[in-house]
Amino acid sequence: MSAIVEVEGLTKRYGRVTAVDDATFSLEEGGIHGLLGRNGAGKTTLMGLLTGQEFATAGRARIFGQSPVENAPALRRVCFIKESQVYPDDFKAKHVLKAAPLFFDRWDQSLADRLVDVFSVPLDRRMKKMSRGQRSAVGVIVGLASRAELTFLDEPYAGLDAVARQRFYDMLLEDYATHPRTIVLSTHLIDEAAGLLQRIVVVDEGRVVIDADADELRSSATTLVGKASDVDRFAVGREVLDRTTMGGIAALTVAGLSPEDRRAAASAGLEATAVSLQELIVSRTGGRASQKESA
Amino acid sequence: MTAIATSPSVAPLPRRIANVVRLHVANPIPTLVMPWGITAVIFAINLAIWLMVANAAGGVQNLEEGAFQYNGGISWIVVFMMIVAIQCMSLTFSFAMGFSVTRRDYYLGTSAYFLSLSVLYATGLTALAAIEQATGGWGLDAAFFSPWGLSEQSYLTLWFVYFATMLMFFFIGASVATVWVRWKAYGLYAFFVGLALLLVGAGWLITATDSWGDVGQFFAGSTWASLAAWTLPVTVVCAVVGFLFLRKATPRG
Repeated sequence: MSAIVEVEGLTKRYGRVTAVDDATFSLEEGGIHGLLGRNGAGKTTLMGLLTGQEFATAGRARIFGQSPVENAPALRRVCFIKESQVYPDDFKAKHVLKAAPLFFDRWDQSLADRLVDVFSVPLDRRMKKMSRGQRSAVGVIVGLASRAELTFLDEPYAGLDAVARQRFYDMLLEDYATHPRTIVLSTHLIDEAAGLLQRIVVVDEGRVVIDADADELRSSATTLVGKASDVDRFAVGREVLDRTTMGGIAALTVAGLSPEDRRAAASAGLEATAVSLQELIVSRTGGRASQKESA
Repeated sequence: MTAIATSPSVAPLPRRIANVVRLHVANPIPTLVMPWGITAVIFAINLAIWLMVANAAGGVQNLEEGAFQYNGGISWIVVFMMIVAIQCMSLTFSFAMGFSVTRRDYYLGTSAYFLSLSVLYATGLTALAAIEQATGGWGLDAAFFSPWGLSEQSYLTLWFVYFATMLMFFFIGASVATVWVRWKAYGLYAFFVGLALLLVGAGWLITATDSWGDVGQFFAGSTWASLAAWTLPVTVVCAVVGFLFLRKATPRG
């Protein structure tokens, strides 16, 4: 297996704003990966750099082992769907779906037709007049039906309701099963998508703060619940990510428990539960900001 | 994880260019419908004015000879091609980038489209000029599609005059559009201030060297065909400048 996406010391500055700050990570070919982070963390800029739409200030962005900038052969194997996609003024949904096969070699028209039904997209409505959810649905259709070897979906379901989002996950998994490829999904609905993701890259203020396999990440932290005094005794000398107390009961999130640690926790009367990815990521990104604020 | 088959072939450059052309045709209203519509409206207004004047004079024969031969109406449609180019590019660039099109392919495809449009419109307008001449200037000795003595030129010359001037305005539009795409409003302010300075500077230079006579001589002494040919260097410069501007442009919402 080889890396389909390689980012090395990648930096993008807009004037004095650093949107991507010395980012380094890579993604293996095949699989659904998550590029997660808060709004404005630099996810869209990263994807723009990886698809040759933005120019790097420093560092390297590579897809299929090549620079994406003005690289037509590489870009034809890529589909990047972003929320801020611009559509020509008079374009209706049908114009978008008519134009898409021109640019994606693996376009599957029957899948596109099916998705139009699934998401009830009004083909004759102008893109400009559509609701946010309808516009997102058009993006999702292009993103899935293009079957690009490397697909970037940037907040693909902004404005979609829970039912439509579930349909998106279902269709994504169904089509992925029959046509495996590499999909990079950016979202802030982390727990919703968590089950799909293999590799997780979390960016915060332009920096890569987490780059790990989802399973590894999930097992990297554990929440222990028990009597506050027991919890405190157990916490001594450990890396504590989060601690909340309610009455005499405390919940403690600690990093990296070994099997012995788990046994010790159990014998100390503490109950161990898995940490959700969302909590974990919030504690690593939002948490830092709150520390800064309190400082 | 199953191995992923790599794409066997990648569309060659000519097909990629043709695809960008097809993207422009996907919505034909701004580039293929509007210009003809505006031509029709301007022509209809002119026809109404000629009829009004002819009626008031009690017939065309009472008018000075060639009274309806000097009409600038058609030049609007030639200049309008600049607007067509600006609209066309400002709307589709970000969209095309979003659909994995490179700047180079986009620019080549768009240029090919402008070239095709120039051929199409030059041919159409020349055909209308032929009808105009065959009908004795719409029965009024009027000239809309071949004014200013152009009716005395061969159809080939007339076609070339339309083709070359339209192509020039398409690419002036393309360079303006790329300024907009790359630097947005501030870019355009700078561009037009620069253009104004250039024109005033040129006027200054011509006045200072007392060369207005020579300039007049150049236009009066040149044939239509050679004047039209002189637009080609301007067209090429605009086309190159447009590409240089677009090369580093990024799509913005």
